[in-house]
Amino acid sequence: MSQRKTKVDPIEFEVFKNLFVSVAEEMGVTLCRTGFSPNIKERLDYSCAVYDAQGETIAQGDHMPVHLGAMPLSVRAAIDDVAMEPGDIVVLNDPFRGGTHLPDITLVSPVFLGHEKRRPAFYVANRAHHSDVGGMTPGSMPLAREGYQEGLIIPPIRLARRGEIVQDVMNLIRANVRTPDEREGDITAQIAANRVADTRLREIVEKYGRRRIDSYAVALQDYTERVLRITIAGIADGVYEFEDYLDDDGFNSGPIKIRVAIRINGDRAEVDFTGTDPQTTGGVNANYAITLSATLYGFRCLIAEDVLYNAGIARAVQVIAPEGSIVNAQRPSAVAGGNVETSQRITDVILGALAKALPDQIPAASQGTMNNVTLGGLDPRTGRRFAYYETIGGGMGARPGLDGISGVHTHMSNTRNTPVEALEHYLPVRLRQYRLRKDSGGDGSFRGGEGIVREYEVLTETAVTVLSDRRKGRPYGAQGGEPGQSGRNTLINKDGESVIPGKATLTLAAGDRLRIESPGGGGFGAKPESA
Amino acid sequence: MIRIGVDTGGTFTDLVMLGPAGVSVHKVRSTPDDPSRAIVSGIQEISGSTGGAEVVHGSTVATNAVLERKGARVALVTTAGFEDVVRIGRQTRRELYNLMQEDRRPLVEPELTFGLVERLGADGEVLEAPDLAAARRLAQQLSDTGVGSVAVCFLHSYRNSAHEDAVAAVFEAAGLQVSSSHRVVREYREYERWSTTIVSAYVTPIVSRYLTALESCLFGSRLSIMQSNGGSISASAAKAVAVRTILSGPAAGIVGARAVADMAGYPRVITFDMGGTSTDVSLVDGAISTTTESMVGDFPVRLPVIDIHTVGAGGGSVAYIDRGGALRVGPLSAGADPGPACYGQGTMLTVTDANLLLGRLDPEYFLGGRMALDIERARAVMLPLAAELKVSELALAEGVVRVANANMERAIRVVSVQRGFDPREFALLAFGGAGGMHACEIADTLDIPTVIVPRYAGVLSAFGALVADVTKDYSLTVLRAGDAASIAQLDELMQPLVAQAESDLENEGFTLGPGTAYVTKELDVRYLGQSYEITVPFAEGFREEFDRLHARRYGYANAARPTEIVNLRVTATGVTRKPELPRTEVSGPIEAVPSRIGPARFGGKTVDTGFYRWEDLAAGSVGHGPAVVAGAQATAVVPPGFSFRIDEFGNLLAVRGVAQGGRRRQNTAVAVMS
Repeated sequence: MSQRKTKVDPIEFEVFKNLFVSVAEEMGVTLCRTGFSPNIKERLDYSCAVYDAQGETIAQGDHMPVHLGAMPLSVRAAIDDVAMEPGDIVVLNDPFRGGTHLPDITLVSPVFLGHEKRRPAFYVANRAHHSDVGGMTPGSMPLAREGYQEGLIIPPIRLARRGEIVQDVMNLIRANVRTPDEREGDITAQIAANRVADTRLREIVEKYGRRRIDSYAVALQDYTERVLRITIAGIADGVYEFEDYLDDDGFNSGPIKIRVAIRINGDRAEVDFTGTDPQTTGGVNANYAITLSATLYGFRCLIAEDVLYNAGIARAVQVIAPEGSIVNAQRPSAVAGGNVETSQRITDVILGALAKALPDQIPAASQGTMNNVTLGGLDPRTGRRFAYYETIGGGMGARPGLDGISGVHTHMSNTRNTPVEALEHYLPVRLRQYRLRKDSGGDGSFRGGEGIVREYEVLTETAVTVLSDRRKGRPYGAQGGEPGQSGRNTLINKDGESVIPGKATLTLAAGDRLRIESPGGGGFGAKPESA
Repeated sequence: MIRIGVDTGGTFTDLVMLGPAGVSVHKVRSTPDDPSRAIVSGIQEISGSTGGAEVVHGSTVATNAVLERKGARVALVTTAGFEDVVRIGRQTRRELYNLMQEDRRPLVEPELTFGLVERLGADGEVLEAPDLAAARRLAQQLSDTGVGSVAVCFLHSYRNSAHEDAVAAVFEAAGLQVSSSHRVVREYREYERWSTTIVSAYVTPIVSRYLTALESCLFGSRLSIMQSNGGSISASAAKAVAVRTILSGPAAGIVGARAVADMAGYPRVITFDMGGTSTDVSLVDGAISTTTESMVGDFPVRLPVIDIHTVGAGGGSVAYIDRGGALRVGPLSAGADPGPACYGQGTMLTVTDANLLLGRLDPEYFLGGRMALDIERARAVMLPLAAELKVSELALAEGVVRVANANMERAIRVVSVQRGFDPREFALLAFGGAGGMHACEIADTLDIPTVIVPRYAGVLSAFGALVADVTKDYSLTVLRAGDAASIAQLDELMQPLVAQAESDLENEGFTLGPGTAYVTKELDVRYLGQSYEITVPFAEGFREEFDRLHARRYGYANAARPTEIVNLRVTATGVTRKPELPRTEVSGPIEAVPSRIGPARFGGKTVDTGFYRWEDLAAGSVGHGPAVVAGAQATAVVPPGFSFRIDEFGNLLAVRGVAQGGRRRQNTAVAVMS
């Protein structure tokens, strides 16, 4: 490329890094402040990024790790399917076209500069988790057998054409979801976020010139690649293998094996999932985008510097995921839980394998699930339908020299909780307890973090879906540490208490309770003999 | 009565006095083990007495108690089943990719956390009455174990305070000091409210002791304290709401900066306070911006505080080359000890060293000549890095300054662009030890037209304490449909807050009246379903104002979408007497004469640069860059292409192009309070 010829100054590098980071940050602020789904505004379940003219990531904000590898694939799908013109916005959520799972809706916008009308200079995109996109159950995180049951599938299509919303598309989305006004509000917030980025990028180019911006965009990608390669080169050459299991898929009995072999060769890593179990009926299938995200996340954690997450990180790591396996599921498999559950187990096997090479750096397993709870029904106070989704933190694995943190989201998620006072104000639900789960962390020289106990009482008939894992298996300990406690889901109704499966759909009557106890983290190092 | 503003810093305690003869300034060495000693001796020295003055104080006692973990031993009593709400926080980790991040250290020991049976519903209805017998047993146990204070935190207490009041009464009856969450901040979201309450319980005893001791040393004087919101409050009132003084010192600085900018004729400024380890920026759009989303250390404090954004880049920030070959500056800082290499002890290259090597610091007149700088030592630490990057040492020095500037530009974008303000409409007011050396280049990048470096940059916080009005703020979460609520209904809901505000003003010694002591009312509004609010003045048409502000900040508005009123806010303001700063009439431009001409580096070239001594420049002096204007309290660097003038108060104003002589506007030299 001709732009590469402009000399990159190691001193100015940081200046341009700041510029691109500011753009992604500003998109995030706009989205979070104006969103309507609790998932966006309270839980920050979204990601924003800036791409070059080829659709390669220049800078992605520090938002959701599980969106890392997937975002560029959705930009790629938008470029391939739609000949974007100035003012167009492409919307998509298709998990097999760069989506993660259906509730994650992505908006991709081209950024055209002044006179240059033929080809965009940049793309910007943001992805946000919507509270409902239709399908079998409110919240659109059902226990489905195929993707078509999970909700509305949107391939890359225009949501806006030359600056005008395509009302037909908006109407189609509205007609397929349980809470259409909220959806439209969230999409409006997403549009605003892309618009902010468009304005900023034009300002930056006007100030510094296209050539310089382009060459520093390349330099930012090269830099991330370089730092990762230096990091990989510090790992001894060899093959490092690990396997771990998902409990089940909610239909067939498990466990489901995920296996990885990481081959380190100089400054390159090959991550091979051959030997992983085939895709399955229930929605724990991960598409390739998710497997890529989880893998890149594992390698990103090895880098001490605050490098930008961008296309450079994917260049040093090659991912081999057999088609039709649970880490590269094919259409029309159900994927709602691949994003939230399987992604965590993929992270566990990546870090487990790396621990064999780097025993002094890699922690024990964290809770390994996001404990997804969706609630839906008719609110008797307002006569309106509600659909609500949340995830629950748990124990972090103990680290070399440090206990694991308690009651926190780990690895592929970092979404906030909804305040009890907000939840109870807006939904016909009451919480009976929200506390740390004592003694759930694994023992060791350093203890795993504690899980959480969160107990809901529904005040009206409520459809509930729970999607959780590590209810049979336990988060592994490291270097002789004990594993963390498995999680447990309990139904409390007029018949008393009964433990329910990790993945379940049920209808609760008014007054019934559901108690979720999330897993503790694994311990690190053998516990010293007591004197 | 004379009035004295006092600011306690790490090294110096600054005093600004407004007496019959006008304003005077004094500095004494701080006494960190007991800050009041320096204050008392400073007041004695500046006024000749410790009695008979009105003393307003920017204090760091509360902040330091939290940051240094020196606060009270706090017991936490929550709704049973929710004991760990504050431990869990928002269940997020601070860094996404750092596997080795440290846990937050809670302010309350786990064994001092207790659940008490009681429960309210979301509308404040009683689901289960508090177990007062258990509360009494607990009170007994706590007074036996000797806790310093108790935080009482129940769900939905912002809606109905009865349970917290009943339980607090039990603890108070046992002689315990209590902070109840609804009294600290009457807003929803339990984690943030409870966290604020715990911080309150943690700092109240220590602040209260400090103020009582200081009051007795200043017998006969009236003592007030700066609050985080930029207003002052009497010491006696502050003892009950110590958490409101938590950002007292920085708040005083912004108030002072704003007053100086206002006098200079610039009501819209971005303040830029660059110290040794960090830089604070804040935006003043006529009025000071406040936020209720601040953090103190690891803990949210949900009270109105001046909206200050801090970045880890200052004069002592260390430059290094990372593994990817990029030049980085900060957040590691050489601090005060060992400090920059040129101070004589440090071994790492800092921003200050780079400025010195570039010729932008006058080594013979640093801090008015009070400290010698070792340029050879700075060069020695520079050389290995320059060799590694294969650039000249001067190119590297310029690079260090540019990278530091880039970090600070990003901070300015956060408080301006990210809040919907265009920085081009503001002036940049630089203070702190290093602000004036970087301000022009930063302003240039952001297209900010004017830079102000106050002559008294070193005592702005003390000055701020002196000019601050007395304020108190009150809030109440109501969560009401915005379109159904009439102005009359809302006004009725506000009445208790207004009554409290008026009585508090009277207790502070004010007589209510427009322009002297008054109450303002505001609403926090959002579109129904959103989670973040925008504060708008309470008046007919607040809905339109909300749409307008939403569009400005986020780029869109929807007049058809229903709104929700989240909080009512009431602010009480008692206007204080304002100082008249010494002012020299400016007749016409006077060409400034440099004390010497020397080399300095700008834009990759070494150019002849005028070195001026600020104290020698009369009001009305004009000059042009490249110039270095060094004063006892601040140094201003004026790059080529800029010009500067000294205004009637001795402030330096720099603009790109040619400065206009004379005054920008006729101005009565009094900080006008809105």
